[in-house]
Amino acid sequence: MNKLERKDVIKLAGGAVLGTAVGTVFSGAPFLGLQWLVEWTQDQYVPGSGDEKFIASICQSCSNKCNLSIRMIGNRAVKVETSNSACPVGANALQLLYHPERIRQPLKKVGGKGNSKFKPVSWDEAIKDISAKAEKLKSENKGAAIAAINGQNAGLSGQLLARLLKTLGSASCFVEPGLATLSAAAVKATQDIDGSLHYDFENSDYILSFGARLVEGWGEPSRMNKVFAGWKARKAKYVQVDTICTRSASIADQWVPVKAGSEAALALGIAYYLMKMGRGSNAANFGELAKIINADFTPEKVSQLTGLKPEAIEQIAKDLAGAGNAVAVAGRGGWGVSSSTAEFVAVQAVNSLIGSLGRRGGVQVAVNGGLGEPAVDAAAAESIKKAKKQSGLDDYIKNGVQPELLFVNEADPVFKSVYGAPLAEKMEKTAMVVAFLPLINDTAQYADYIFPTLSWLEIPAAKGKDAAAVKTESKHAADAILQIAKKIKGSDTAFAWNSFKDIIAAAGKTEIRGAGNLTIPADVMKAFAAELPKKLAPAKDFPLAMIPFEAALLGDGDGLAFPYVLKGLDDTTLTGRKMWVLMNPETAKKHGASEGSRVDLESKRGEVGSVKVHLTKTIAPDVVAVPLGFGHKAYTSYAKGKGVNPKLIMSNDIDSVSGAADWWYTSVKLS
Amino acid sequence: MAQEKKKETNMKRRWGMAIDLDKCTGCGQCQVACSQENNMPLFEDDSEILKRVVFLDVMKVTNDRDKDAQYPNVKTAFIPKMCQQCGGNDPDHPKPPCVSVCPVVATDVGDDGVVSQVWSRCIGCRYCQASCPYEARQFNWWKPEHEGSFKESLNPEVSVASRGTIVKCTFCSHIWKRERDKMLAKGVKDINAVLYTPSCVAGCPTGAMVFGDLNDPASEVSKLSKDKRAFRLVHTVDNWDEAKKAHLKKNYPNPKVYYLSSQEWLRKMAAF
Ligand code: SF4
Ligand code: SF4
Ligand code: SF4
Repeated sequence: MNKLERKDVIKLAGGAVLGTAVGTVFSGAPFLGLQWLVEWTQDQYVPGSGDEKFIASICQSCSNKCNLSIRMIGNRAVKVETSNSACPVGANALQLLYHPERIRQPLKKVGGKGNSKFKPVSWDEAIKDISAKAEKLKSENKGAAIAAINGQNAGLSGQLLARLLKTLGSASCFVEPGLATLSAAAVKATQDIDGSLHYDFENSDYILSFGARLVEGWGEPSRMNKVFAGWKARKAKYVQVDTICTRSASIADQWVPVKAGSEAALALGIAYYLMKMGRGSNAANFGELAKIINADFTPEKVSQLTGLKPEAIEQIAKDLAGAGNAVAVAGRGGWGVSSSTAEFVAVQAVNSLIGSLGRRGGVQVAVNGGLGEPAVDAAAAESIKKAKKQSGLDDYIKNGVQPELLFVNEADPVFKSVYGAPLAEKMEKTAMVVAFLPLINDTAQYADYIFPTLSWLEIPAAKGKDAAAVKTESKHAADAILQIAKKIKGSDTAFAWNSFKDIIAAAGKTEIRGAGNLTIPADVMKAFAAELPKKLAPAKDFPLAMIPFEAALLGDGDGLAFPYVLKGLDDTTLTGRKMWVLMNPETAKKHGASEGSRVDLESKRGEVGSVKVHLTKTIAPDVVAVPLGFGHKAYTSYAKGKGVNPKLIMSNDIDSVSGAADWWYTSVKLS
Repeated sequence: MAQEKKKETNMKRRWGMAIDLDKCTGCGQCQVACSQENNMPLFEDDSEILKRVVFLDVMKVTNDRDKDAQYPNVKTAFIPKMCQQCGGNDPDHPKPPCVSVCPVVATDVGDDGVVSQVWSRCIGCRYCQASCPYEARQFNWWKPEHEGSFKESLNPEVSVASRGTIVKCTFCSHIWKRERDKMLAKGVKDINAVLYTPSCVAGCPTGAMVFGDLNDPASEVSKLSKDKRAFRLVHTVDNWDEAKKAHLKKNYPNPKVYYLSSQEWLRKMAAF
């Protein structure tokens, strides 16, 4: 029987009424009684009127820089439309601009860390205190104990922090792990370039995505939405590899269902067939990879790891080879991306075998134009040279030194990193933590100072286009950092700019290059080949694989502060503050769960719960699909205390190249 | 009921929408764009589904409950659902299921085909909600709130509803009025010269939603409505007998929102 799943939306035409959750059967009048009558007859809130005008602006929330049209009534912004209507960030812009819990002035910690208590402080006082601390650490030769964490979209303000740290003698400036850091690590490992992968999707005819949920927030969603519309229009073929039937898998032209965590194995299995078809690669060390493939990724072995028949794998290889401009994409996930460097290398190996490196519709390298290197004095240079090096944020949290001064810039690593809890502990012991944010998130709870930053609408844009008027004491993080830097003796000379506007003008442009020459890091691949079968073998104690997914607009948690995002969550995602996880009915039966039952999830790291179970055959057997983005301890009253954060129990093995934990696949059990 | 005389009108437009489910990624931006434009109440906990008021619901549907459904031969899809702007069966006297039951004419069909809803006229009897086959109408059980500074972003063209009233999608008819006023200021008096785009359609990033005039055979929405992938949402009855079919036809709501899909299971699930 075919039936709409979620609600009995479509009822018998003509008005035979079925009772639903909202209860449409009886009249509301008696229930509401007198109060209703009173309210009904009295005037309701009337929004203020004023002259209508439209402000043209540029969205600065990512590197895409879309044109915005802001509809103003008097001095109120009431609607934002983006030039390509392709951006969820633009859609939520007003909810951030007018968020009742936005920080309106700089704040200073009151009492112990983590208690969410702050008091207002002036910009001058805060900056004085922070710059004095930085100067003191440098003068005591403790510059290496200064660290910074930038969000993935921090952009130029992130570059300013890195610059400031260098002048103080620290190289410990990290970006929150995700697609950007993984892609940068892969480019560094295979091409020794400081850049990131750029897929030329606009010109691809065949797109094979290894778990990258391309229409669910991945990369730059504003670009990806447009790209996707383009694929549909010109009938490009989009093939999605995934373990669960995600939004991307469903809308793709083909879904390749693989066993949890086996995406890289499939890539190497496809490489096997491509080689058999006579395809070669120019990549240095490719011979070594071929040896690994022929030994450990034969069709039989890959079939076992992925659950796909060898013929199915061969067919994908044929389709790839036969397509015009084909491209293979790495970086599993949507807004939150987790993968391994080996997986990126495996996928790039496929790209090299189909000749898509540097080719139109294939994959290129983007090199960001920066602000150039700052002049660094001898003491700072020496400090950087001597300091312990960490490859990424998770590596730093786990193995790095205890910081004494820590900057957090538009990031929420306490919530998003699987090392969030140890980071919070470190922050408790850090003498001074400075955060730049518009809303107090889980990480900012541990801050000593919080500077209020701008919503995307208020960010001053280049070329004289106006942004909506800033009504608070907020500033762009770049301006705040600039002010701090200018107060630090010795660092000030490296910051010649007066404001963020100058910095935008000074920054070099992003340059797209051909993919250059690929070198396969053979040791990385050898280690991977040895580890993977062990990792994916069913564990006796923890027989289920936990795989993440994301609800629309919620992403890896950033959307939860916005009530209109909450309005879109359905009744098998979050109900009554309880979060739902998804399982195949057979799996549930085997493990004693049923529709709506409450369970806890346990991995070798610990337990989270309780969550409710929804049964659906869109999930592979022996898998628990768990939504990301819930379980905030702070981040406004809209987000706080809803659901649980699975990162607390997710895999925390650190990838040696990217320095980020690969949390995608976690062995768990129900308890 | 005696037949009323057909209304005199020089309105040529009949607004309609087409939503291509092959292009809808379920991103939810249409819902946010609608909520922003139409002053949806912002409660502290909008994840409470019982309390939630929203005009547009992006419904997730799947065929995983079919008898033979087995992983991985299952699919999901998203159906953005708002008021379907029913026309009823008699083209001369359009009477959507909801309009015929309203005792105070709080809801009516305009000569452009749009089913209006005037919150301030509604007495909260909820007959229309009960008669709507699409559950497109929402009742404000709680007083619609806009916490603190969220009030700043309210659109003055859409009144904030009172508690105890029914609200629903109006095809953003206030935007049409806005466009008409603009044209009038430029001296254009012909009402048929003015086109507009509802907020959800403008907010859709993939171009899945198309809006326009169903009376204009050249419009994209007209063409899409006649596409072989097009269908409209109506109840599916498993074993229709003739009597049921006749009943269904009589009460067929004849909506002006069309959906398109190349997927057979989805069409079967939702189509007439
Ligand atoms: S969908 Fe419901 S509310 Fe809209 S016109 Fe049809 S019956 Fe009326
Ligand atoms: S037409 Fe307007 S009111 Fe209706 S769903 Fe779209 S945005 Fe909302
Ligand atoms: S905005 Fe467009 S793509 Fe997104 S859910 Fe709505 S109709 Fe679908």
